[in-house]
Amino acid sequence: MSAGAVLAGPTLLEAAEYISPYRLTILHTNDTHSRLEPFPMDGGRNQGLGGIAGRSALIQKIRAEEEQVLLLDAGDIFQGTPYFNIYKGEPEIKAMTAMQYDACTIGNHDFDAGMENLATQLTLHANFPMLVANYDFTGTAMEHKTQPYKVFKKGRLKIGVFGVSIEGRGLIPDTLFGATKYLDPVQKANETADQLKRLENCDMVICLSHLGNKYTDGKVSDEVLAKESSDIDLIIGGHTHTFLDDPLKYTNKNGNDVIVNQVGFAGIILGRLDFEFSKFSGKKLVKNHNLSVSQKSAG
Amino acid sequence: MIPSKHHQSMRKNPSAIFLALLLLFTGYSCTTSYQTSALQYKSYRISDAQQKDSSLLKFLQPYGEKVNSTMNEVVGVAAISMDKAQPECTLGNMMVDAFLAMAAEKYNTKVDGALVNFGGIRLTQLPKGNITTGKIFELMPFDNLLLLQKMKGSVLQQVLDLAAAKGGWPLAGITMQIRDKKAVNIKVGGLPLDPDATYTIANSDFIANGGDNADMLRTIPQITNGYLMRDAIIEYIRKQKAAGKEISSTIENRVTNAE
Repeated sequence: MSAGAVLAGPTLLEAAEYISPYRLTILHTNDTHSRLEPFPMDGGRNQGLGGIAGRSALIQKIRAEEEQVLLLDAGDIFQGTPYFNIYKGEPEIKAMTAMQYDACTIGNHDFDAGMENLATQLTLHANFPMLVANYDFTGTAMEHKTQPYKVFKKGRLKIGVFGVSIEGRGLIPDTLFGATKYLDPVQKANETADQLKRLENCDMVICLSHLGNKYTDGKVSDEVLAKESSDIDLIIGGHTHTFLDDPLKYTNKNGNDVIVNQVGFAGIILGRLDFEFSKFSGKKLVKNHNLSVSQKSAG
Repeated sequence: MIPSKHHQSMRKNPSAIFLALLLLFTGYSCTTSYQTSALQYKSYRISDAQQKDSSLLKFLQPYGEKVNSTMNEVVGVAAISMDKAQPECTLGNMMVDAFLAMAAEKYNTKVDGALVNFGGIRLTQLPKGNITTGKIFELMPFDNLLLLQKMKGSVLQQVLDLAAAKGGWPLAGITMQIRDKKAVNIKVGGLPLDPDATYTIANSDFIANGGDNADMLRTIPQITNGYLMRDAIIEYIRKQKAAGKEISSTIENRVTNAE
């Protein structure tokens, strides 16, 4: 009888949650590509989808329901509709500021109207950081306009967010990429994640990636990064415009779970990831760390 | 603070109190941290039917008025919906047909073939019906130049191998098959590719400058008059409209997978 009561009682993990039921809601987009208005009602397959006004209303609703929210974007904010040809990204960045994005990374198309233009748009209109750890902008117009990472305090949680982006050569015209130095994204990601976990004492590390979901030729991707990482909990991806029905789960070098998600393009989808946290004591990172993943049923 | 309902549930479970106290004790004595334990996910489709943020609608309005006044001109009519796909697609065929025709006209020379990289097609679909200037800006938003390069058949082979390795690019004036990520059975103007012959190929400055890994083209001289690819598509569609024709294209086995 008493043994049964113990079995029916809460596990160690559940007991921890009685003390501290901690939750973080991550909302994310990627490759929004200047789609400020919904796709026009022209009979196309995406007609009526997307648009900043609908996205913003949804974000506001979720913010009203959830205490801790991070709103993130994985790059390629620019290019794709005539808004960009005429305004060079001003309304895109202003809209993200209005929606209170917390951070973004840089995509290859964010170079499309030149680095000076990007620097100007960010300086004038962004109140969120552009994060990239593997581009060295020394000597370019983008120098000091990005940072490798940012730590967000969300209640008692410390969340480290950093960015990595794709190789410019062969993708971004030389005239636009200029003197930007592309550094190995896996190496820089691991260095930065290590710093966030050990020096900044983050409880969770999120990578905003514009590397692409996966490739058949072994080129570095979110899949490659996830498997070769040690301290990343979540990769929010972009570039390949991949619509994932469910987030992907990989095992990192330490046998822990890494989640990868990406939500297509053009702001058709807003991704939502609700993480629950358990409190634990003792040395960080030695705990075996596997995540239970399920589809949210309502809300 | 411990919420009272949790308090009650713990009272029913003495083991929970013990474990909680244990955790609290160890929590205060050592480093206390959090780690992710569970994830629930959801994808929200942003549709026209749902609620909109009126402040953002108001914010966008003045930008939109200018965009729409310059972008709503109907330049032609699509007889069918044209799609983006590999190895060959109707949307890509329409684009390279426009590039081949307009390059020949604007450079006043015989052009043997035209190509565009698959990633250069920026719409997944051009819907049936009226085609506006804005739609073509979405299809080809970049200010890419339509230029010519004269290259040996052996170099063209390398370009087409790259196209094959990347799953197939739209081609006009050229046909090929993809086998083991290489281009085979290549024909230019209906004749087998001659590695020693010189071909005039219409291409974008993006690819000509080595974009999409076309490094073999970086050293080939470019013939250019500043004409934009986007303007080529718009002008091609306008010409069809003026001739009383709608825009259409078909899959013609220009690029197929072998076996």
